[in-house]
Amino acid sequence: MLLRESGAQTDTSYDLNSVTADTGDSGVPHSQWLRRLTEAAISSNWLALAEMRDEAEAAMGKQQVVDALTVAAAFNGITRVADCTGIPLDPDTEHSTGAMRSETGIDQFAYDHKSQRYADS
Amino acid sequence: MYPPNSALRDNLTSAHAESWAKIGQPGDFLTGAQRVEIVRLAREAMDCHLCEDRKAALSPNAVEGEHHCSGSRFDPVVVDFIHRVRTDPGRITHKLFKAVTAVISKEQYIELVGVLNSSVIIDTLHNAMGLGWPSLPDVGRGRPKGVSNTQVVDEGAWVPILDVGANQTVDTGLPRVPNIARSLGLVPEALNLFFATFRPHYALKDIPLSISQAQAEFVAARVSAMNECFY
Repeated sequence: MLLRESGAQTDTSYDLNSVTADTGDSGVPHSQWLRRLTEAAISSNWLALAEMRDEAEAAMGKQQVVDALTVAAAFNGITRVADCTGIPLDPDTEHSTGAMRSETGIDQFAYDHKSQRYADS
Repeated sequence: MYPPNSALRDNLTSAHAESWAKIGQPGDFLTGAQRVEIVRLAREAMDCHLCEDRKAALSPNAVEGEHHCSGSRFDPVVVDFIHRVRTDPGRITHKLFKAVTAVISKEQYIELVGVLNSSVIIDTLHNAMGLGWPSLPDVGRGRPKGVSNTQVVDEGAWVPILDVGANQTVDTGLPRVPNIARSLGLVPEALNLFFATFRPHYALKDIPLSISQAQAEFVAARVSAMNECFY
């Protein structure tokens, strides 16, 4: 949701569907490398990550690769805090992102829905 | 904890070292030994065949078996929870939360969540940097302090969250204190531990990293999608 806000700040439109899809170019610089690095880190695919780092560093620079992994690591933790506490969206966010959540499929992650979907099946 | 040529910022490496040492110390509701055990159990989950099979199943509850676990002083329900959080966080349910908080207090639950997910951040970064697992924290002696926060409110989460009074929206489009920053508010030490670990990694605006805010938000959003995180 903050990706949309970030684009609005710079008058840039990003493809939000690329976030929930397994492929696609969001429009942010080095989107494909960011995706590959993030997916390897969050999947704990350390071998693949080690193998792609040199190439990613050649494309983006070492510091950008490290900083992308830094953000990925942080959100690997904070998403679990949200998942463990069933925290609701902030009120303004809930009101302003309804259409986007529906369009991108994020609504399927709502804690009430997931609790019903996975609790007894 | 990190080699000097890691390209990580000093404030991050020092924050991680401090958090790691704190994990080994008694918290508000768990002993140092229990807190370090949470980190060990989370790591064992990464080699757990039951967790692997559950992750691949349409429903995690359709697969039965025993977790890979070299012993634990926690109730099996808690061990199961730790494994699920580490390997399949998108399918944590309210029913599972209620099962866990039937065997430990909500305060212990919050502290467990804070410790576990602080260690997830540190372990993920270490492995992503090719450094492997850092050695488990040294265990400090002493009893939990038993300090909880009475300034909490029910705002629809599974747990009471930090009461911050008037919470106006600021220029990020989020409230002054977003709900996620209030979620561990029942146990001040858990809140402080987690966000001391998290804070050097990210900012809601003017992110002090070599990647742009939009690039950081793309990475964050992709992690959220992979972990099926609604927030």
